[in-house]
Amino acid sequence: MIDEALQRFIALAGRVGLHYDFLLSGSEVRQWAAGMGTTLLLVVLAIPLSLAAGIAFAAALTSGRPWLALPVRAYVELTRNTPTLVQLMFAFFALNMLLSRALGGAAHNPFTPFFWVVAVTGLHIAAFHAEALRGGIEAVPAPLVEAAQATGFSAFEILRFVTLPLALRTALPALMNNLVNLVKLTTIGSAIAVGEVTYASIMIWTQRDNVLELMIVILLFFGLINLTVSRIGHFVERRLAIPGYGV
Amino acid sequence: MSAAALPARGALRAAWPWLALAAGSGLFWSFLDARLTRDLLDWLPYLASGFVMNVLISVLAMALGTLGGVVLGAMELSNARVVRAPAVAYVQLFRNAPHLVLIFATTYIFPFEIVVAGSYLPFPDWLKAVLGLAVPACAYVAEIVRGAILSVPTSQWDAARGSGLSRGQTLRWIILPQCLRRALPPWMNLYASITMSTALASLVGVHELLHAATDASTAVRRDDFTIAVYLTVLAAFFLFCFPISRLTRRLERRFAPR
Repeated sequence: MIDEALQRFIALAGRVGLHYDFLLSGSEVRQWAAGMGTTLLLVVLAIPLSLAAGIAFAAALTSGRPWLALPVRAYVELTRNTPTLVQLMFAFFALNMLLSRALGGAAHNPFTPFFWVVAVTGLHIAAFHAEALRGGIEAVPAPLVEAAQATGFSAFEILRFVTLPLALRTALPALMNNLVNLVKLTTIGSAIAVGEVTYASIMIWTQRDNVLELMIVILLFFGLINLTVSRIGHFVERRLAIPGYGV
Repeated sequence: MSAAALPARGALRAAWPWLALAAGSGLFWSFLDARLTRDLLDWLPYLASGFVMNVLISVLAMALGTLGGVVLGAMELSNARVVRAPAVAYVQLFRNAPHLVLIFATTYIFPFEIVVAGSYLPFPDWLKAVLGLAVPACAYVAEIVRGAILSVPTSQWDAARGSGLSRGQTLRWIILPQCLRRALPPWMNLYASITMSTALASLVGVHELLHAATDASTAVRRDDFTIAVYLTVLAAFFLFCFPISRLTRRLERRFAPR
């Protein structure tokens, strides 16, 4: 049944000059599917990391303590103004090497290229989250914060129960935009041989010379992931909406 | 003092502690290890020739992207569905597409030479990278243009006509100046973002800064040099993009609707 549909699709695509014959080769299909799986896994791991780190950075930026805010500010500026690929190369070729040496040889180094892609892309986008959340936190009306202070809330409690919940709502569109960029960023994993969908596709098209065919599917694949991400964003936005509260 | 020079000077003033910090730590390092400094200085011209390529690719990609994006942005606002739909589809598809995938696409799909009037013209990889980045740049510029035009209330057209201005005069003196103000900061943000994406061209073999750094690190094969050379790459991009982003933030504040 599925085979028949596949045959018909390949014949149909062949008529407009697109060659999807590789879909009949089990090993290539498995490689490609594994690549898509890896991309999804990268996305699923990097999104929570970016959000958690972004909230922590935003808290540090608005803490009013210079020893906390200044290093984070420097990190945010450095991250936002340098290419992620260079950061990844630096992390993988310099930091990873230093770690290997400290741990006594690459064999003892538990950090895989996969780990570095999640860490670098997640922390890169966290800097953008932090800026969006900082704007949201600073936009919370001062009387609200003062009322919380007068009620006896600690600085952390004010962040947890007053400013952050409101900042999350104002920053949500920017956060969703950042997450779409995060999904796209995971492709740089192919530079250090992480077998995500771009890398798997390179492996296939060097054998088959069917770049256009694979590209169409990759673009649709990323379009679908990003559509899902923005759908979830709209859902969260509706669930969190406070009647009568701006935005 | 012209009005345009003011924010530029402000951005420089804001950026200078960071520049001093970078220069200071670089100087400190060079005192630590003279051999490393010498090697780095030897490779600096090679690295610089790489960075020129990054700037060239970003400028050309942005120029093409702006031309295409203005047309697409205007098409998105058309009342005719046949004009609007393709533009909307293009923007949706290519805003969601990873830049790396688009660079791979243009690199492998276009031929390595093209025939123009019987003579073979080479079609080098860096030019394909320009096209690969111009494709998403068009989509982003289209959104910027659309947003800028929509941000001007239509009542201003009526008010201008009421004051006796012609349609052309209204466009020239009322609408366009406001559009440019709204569009300039995001356009500059996009330029910085496209500049950073030019590093991706190293993955298809274009001789740019990151590629040059990898060459240098494999030639010297010393750990401290590898670290220093990648730090140099980070510093080069930072020193290029940070002033742009500071200036953008100042312009955003200046042009913010009151």
